[in-house]
Amino acid sequence: MKRSKNINLERMRKVPEKRFKLRPIVMGVAVALVSGCSSDKQQVAVVKSPEDCAAKTELTPEQCEAAYKQALIEAERTGPKYTSRQLCEAEFGAGQCSPNSTGSSFIPLMAGFMVGQALSNRGDSNYGSYNPVYRYQRPFSSLNNQIMTSDGSVIGSYGQRSYSVSKSNLKPKPTVTKTVSRGGFGAVASAKSSWGGGRSSGRFSGWGG
Amino acid sequence: MFRMPIRERSDWEAMADEYGFKFHTMYGERYWDESAYYQLSLKQVEQDIEAPTEEIHQMCLAVVDAVINDDQLMRKFCIPEHQWDFVRSSWKNGDPSLYSRLDFAYSGNGHAKLFENNADTPTSVYETGFWQWLWLENNVDSGVLPRMSDQFNSLQDKLVNRFKDLKILTPGRELHFACCRDTEEDRGTVQYLEDCAIAAGISTRFIYIEDIGRDEEGRFSDLDDQVITWMFKLYPWEFMFQEEYGELLGKSNLRWLEPPWKSILSNKALLPMLWRMFPDHPNLLPAFFEDELHLASECGALIKKPLFSREGANISVVKNGSEVVESDGPYGEEGFIYQAMHLLPKFGDNYTLIGSWLVDDEAAGISIREDSNIITQDMSRYLPHTILS
Repeated sequence: MKRSKNINLERMRKVPEKRFKLRPIVMGVAVALVSGCSSDKQQVAVVKSPEDCAAKTELTPEQCEAAYKQALIEAERTGPKYTSRQLCEAEFGAGQCSPNSTGSSFIPLMAGFMVGQALSNRGDSNYGSYNPVYRYQRPFSSLNNQIMTSDGSVIGSYGQRSYSVSKSNLKPKPTVTKTVSRGGFGAVASAKSSWGGGRSSGRFSGWGG
Repeated sequence: MFRMPIRERSDWEAMADEYGFKFHTMYGERYWDESAYYQLSLKQVEQDIEAPTEEIHQMCLAVVDAVINDDQLMRKFCIPEHQWDFVRSSWKNGDPSLYSRLDFAYSGNGHAKLFENNADTPTSVYETGFWQWLWLENNVDSGVLPRMSDQFNSLQDKLVNRFKDLKILTPGRELHFACCRDTEEDRGTVQYLEDCAIAAGISTRFIYIEDIGRDEEGRFSDLDDQVITWMFKLYPWEFMFQEEYGELLGKSNLRWLEPPWKSILSNKALLPMLWRMFPDHPNLLPAFFEDELHLASECGALIKKPLFSREGANISVVKNGSEVVESDGPYGEEGFIYQAMHLLPKFGDNYTLIGSWLVDDEAAGISIREDSNIITQDMSRYLPHTILS
């Protein structure tokens, strides 16, 4: 059979009411937090192990052990997942990938985790997250040897003493921001659709083809 | 390959309402036309369309690779120089693609001939993946068509599976879908693809192209001020490249569908490049850049097409050095290419064009459109098809 076998007709029906959508109610607060800071950038160290963490940061060995465990959990939850070891190693290098805990996919080995100097002193539970980072290793890629977070945000090249990262890299996604302008896309379509050419019906249906 | 008349389903318009197919009739004229269908054999489908589709796709990828690595060709394809890094890195990083549609002239005999590649913003995906599929199911269930009738159309299954792959390749991100305001057809197309993404377990949002915003860091944002990190846009790359926010492209961590390297495939310069790299390929028509016209002497009439165009606009026929404009339109300022004239096959009074779909690099089905005009415009009608061996 050369046609689809898994079309669910119930799901294809369009119900009149719009889909329910959760709207966060603390938007104003979140925006104020971001815009209220003098700088969005934060200095962090990337450490490889609990020992490395204790040597390079102000965290105690016990805190480092806990941070490391948390980073491993985050890596399991949010790390890039691949259907095969080969696909994973193509991006992170030979021997740098392993099956995840359920065995359903392959994930790159954590190159380390981020510890912010200012964060550790604050004792603020909102910032007590230690996100894993990965070392991208794909020869000839412009990203080769870059350190990135689990969603692919590059924070700098491998081997730096410290990294300047935006706070959004340290916090859970999605990121809320302050929009400064709108309408920067769409001008060409608008100019071309006002064109009054010779098609008999003057029909305009869209920009697809 | 035959064009067969058939009775319309008595309740199809009510069903169209039920399933949200709103653009079956446009500007008072029929677009979805089930008063007839095309019947193909399995051999015609597999040997003449499916296999060449996958082969040509690989040839197209070879063209992308050649163009990406050559400044002169990047200029020939009119990719603005300030976007070269953006386009090149998307190719070198292997940014995944979703889908595309190759348009062929095919009569049922001989080789299907490639007219063009809609690789960036293909439409008619809903009509193909779902609506003609439903037409076949209904007509088989009611006994109008024989039980063993099939259709070359695994498009919806493949789209959902592809979105599952993309979810794994793009972990932890919400996917924003976007198209322009005031185009019911584009809105319907994007809604369908969003439905496929949702079926694959992806968290989605919708925004109109015109509503996209930016923050101080140059990241794009939606109407809830949420940073956009992954976006499907049914809007041509060549438009985005030259618009105000074009300068922000590639400056933030945003994954695009289709990826920026598709700007090389949706460009008509693809056609002369294919002919240059794969001369005399049976599924290609001879095609030439403006400065290669001396090579076209034995081709007879040529079709002159703008580098960037949609839906058959701004086409002329060049014969013995004189040019006859066949269709008007808003395109052409970036230059033209020339393709050997090849008439669409005629079934009754209709000229018929076959769209052959790819999801990633797999052939996924066909759509058939016909027009009473020789150059297929966007006034063409969509007809369903069957496979009967």
